[in-house]
Amino acid sequence: MENNIRIMVVDDEPIVGKRLKQTLEKDGYVVEAFTDSLIATNEFEKNPFDIIITDLKMEKIDGMNILENVKRKNPDTKVIIITGVGKWLTATEAFEKGAFDFIIKPFKLDEIRDVVQRAVKDLST
Amino acid sequence: MRLKIWHKMIIGIAIPSLIVVLGSLINYGYISDTENRQRYVLIADDLKEHVLEVRRNEKNFFHFKNADYLHNLQSEISTLATSVKHISPKAVEEIGKEEFALFNETLNAYANLLNDLYESYQQESQVVEEVRAEGRELETLVSQGKLSQEITTSFILHLRLLEKNYMLFRDKKSFNELNNRLKQIRNVTPFCYRCNPYIAAINNLFSTYNKSDALANKIQDTGNSLEVITGKIVVREREKIGVFFTKTKRLLVIALIILCTVGPLLVYKTASYIVAPIKRLAEITEKIAEGDLTQRAPLREHDETYSLSTSFNTMLDHLQLTHDSLEHSLQLLHQKQAQLVESEKRATLGLLVSGVAHELNNPLNNISLTAETMREGLEEFSREELDDYIKDILSQSERAHNIVENLLDFARARRSTIMEKQDIIRIVKESFHLVANQLRINNIKLEQHIPDIALFVKGNRSKLEQILVSIFTNAIQAMKTDGTLTVRVTQESENKNILIKIHDTGPGISENDIKNIFEPFFTTKPVGEGTGLGLSVSRSLVMEHKGELRVESTLDKGTTFIITLPPFEVTS
Ligand SMILES: Nc1ncnc2c1ncn2[C@@H]1O[C@H](COP(=O)(O)OP(=O)(O)OP(=O)(O)O)[C@@H](O)[C@H]1O
Ligand SMILES: [Mg+2]
Repeated sequence: MENNIRIMVVDDEPIVGKRLKQTLEKDGYVVEAFTDSLIATNEFEKNPFDIIITDLKMEKIDGMNILENVKRKNPDTKVIIITGVGKWLTATEAFEKGAFDFIIKPFKLDEIRDVVQRAVKDLST
Repeated sequence: MRLKIWHKMIIGIAIPSLIVVLGSLINYGYISDTENRQRYVLIADDLKEHVLEVRRNEKNFFHFKNADYLHNLQSEISTLATSVKHISPKAVEEIGKEEFALFNETLNAYANLLNDLYESYQQESQVVEEVRAEGRELETLVSQGKLSQEITTSFILHLRLLEKNYMLFRDKKSFNELNNRLKQIRNVTPFCYRCNPYIAAINNLFSTYNKSDALANKIQDTGNSLEVITGKIVVREREKIGVFFTKTKRLLVIALIILCTVGPLLVYKTASYIVAPIKRLAEITEKIAEGDLTQRAPLREHDETYSLSTSFNTMLDHLQLTHDSLEHSLQLLHQKQAQLVESEKRATLGLLVSGVAHELNNPLNNISLTAETMREGLEEFSREELDDYIKDILSQSERAHNIVENLLDFARARRSTIMEKQDIIRIVKESFHLVANQLRINNIKLEQHIPDIALFVKGNRSKLEQILVSIFTNAIQAMKTDGTLTVRVTQESENKNILIKIHDTGPGISENDIKNIFEPFFTTKPVGEGTGLGLSVSRSLVMEHKGELRVESTLDKGTTFIITLPPFEVTS
């Protein structure tokens, strides 16, 4: 059932991308990781993704912009925001703009798994 | 003294002027006096001229003895007398009343004597006729032989010759010869009664001649005294003019001497008198300018400076009040500032702490993620995969370590507060050693334009070094490889700020970034390479040195960071 679910990970920290890609692929998702938010944007403009996990603070295009762009292009896509500690204001802003959920750094792999599963469930309804 | 500056000036100017005016007036009087005297000299000369004319006529009269010449002489005398009469009484008074009285008297006597002489001359001609008649009578008597034989014709003829001579020369010799001849007659014929009339006539002639001569002599004497009187007047008048000239000259000299000595003295005295209160004010102003606000202008003179001084003093009172309240405000301000600085410090510290937390978040997250992944699938991993994980963990802990290290550096630099006299030239040169390795590895040329002298600032050595190294490092990192780092230290002149310009040939900074580069944790460097603390820390360190950190940048050309530091002040 989880087959064919396409997930995009955008974070300028390459290790985050690498680790999430490994973990989520092991769980059976199709995962693509990007450190450059511009390339990532181009990519999802061409091929839509079911779930996008993005860091908030990034060079060029930040997570908030990615959220907006994605929601405009494909409102069904679930966007999960990763953010540093204590950014409650930006978190609420993200919810208003249609983010599915957000995860606070540092996070556990299970947290990611849990959110992604909830997003997948949400997708199928 | 209640004298206004105005009055002082008038006095100062008036006294020398008065000296000049007085001297001029006296001289004017002297000169017009001299002018009058000149007129008197002319009068005297004229008088003398007339007298000489009279004397010339006198001579003529003496010579020709006739009425025509007498008339000439008399008319000359009367012209003289009228001209004397026409001299103004004032001139007479000035020249000398007695002289004129004497002159008039003498002139009168002279005129009278002339009349006498003329009478005597007329008498003479009668007597001469008588003598001649008697002579002729005697001749006839002798020729008729009516007289004694001793008296011959030749004797008589000789007698007549002597008679003629005497009449002609009227001198002693001819008189003696004639007289001897007459005596002979007496000796020869004591009782020649026919001879008597002749002898009597001759004797008469003698006495008349004597009388005339005596008169003539007297006239000459009187004439002489006339000349003497006029001569004296002329000489005296001329002398008087001379005296006036010497007097005028002396007066001028005296006035000049007074003017040259008293004048400058007076002017100097007045000037210093006027300037004294102003000078005092100036001195006080100077003291006030030096900061002594307790000074007040003394109220001594009651001139214009009095009101100046009083308003000056009220102004000073106000000034002192304002100064005191300003000082008070300044103190308050200092207190507030200290509080502000403290809270600002705390704020930056808070910012720093949250920034550090944020920064540490990423490497920590990376480490924990990697470790978790490893734990989940430890058995399945190949050797290479494990290596990759371990490398990631190590690099991320290194990254965390760097952040902490930077923070510690920052904290250390902040903690050391010793500020002392430092030669900034030496510090710049020594900080080159700290980046020498980086320069060499990246093949970057170092160009130094640093004066060969010592330039002192008040500063903290390690803080200054940290600033420089941080900026050098930024420049090297911006240029990557093959560029030129130019460091220039300048000071326009002594006591002016010292400028350290650090220029690189890197890519420059975009307009968007340049606003942010001094913000803590702003960095454009790849994740893990820069903390973004370098410039914010550098700026706060430069500010601690009472300096300024500025940046100028052109895209694709390069960037210049300019550190401005105040020079070391001996008093501080
Ligand atoms: N010489 C320079 N040329 C171009 N950009 C520069 C230069 N110096 C600084 N910058 C820019 O300013 C940013 C902030 O510099 P700063 O020194 O504060 O942090 P950093 O160098 O990124 O990190 P750190 O100094 O902590 O290693 C840099 O990331 C860079 O983009
Ligand atoms: Mg730096």
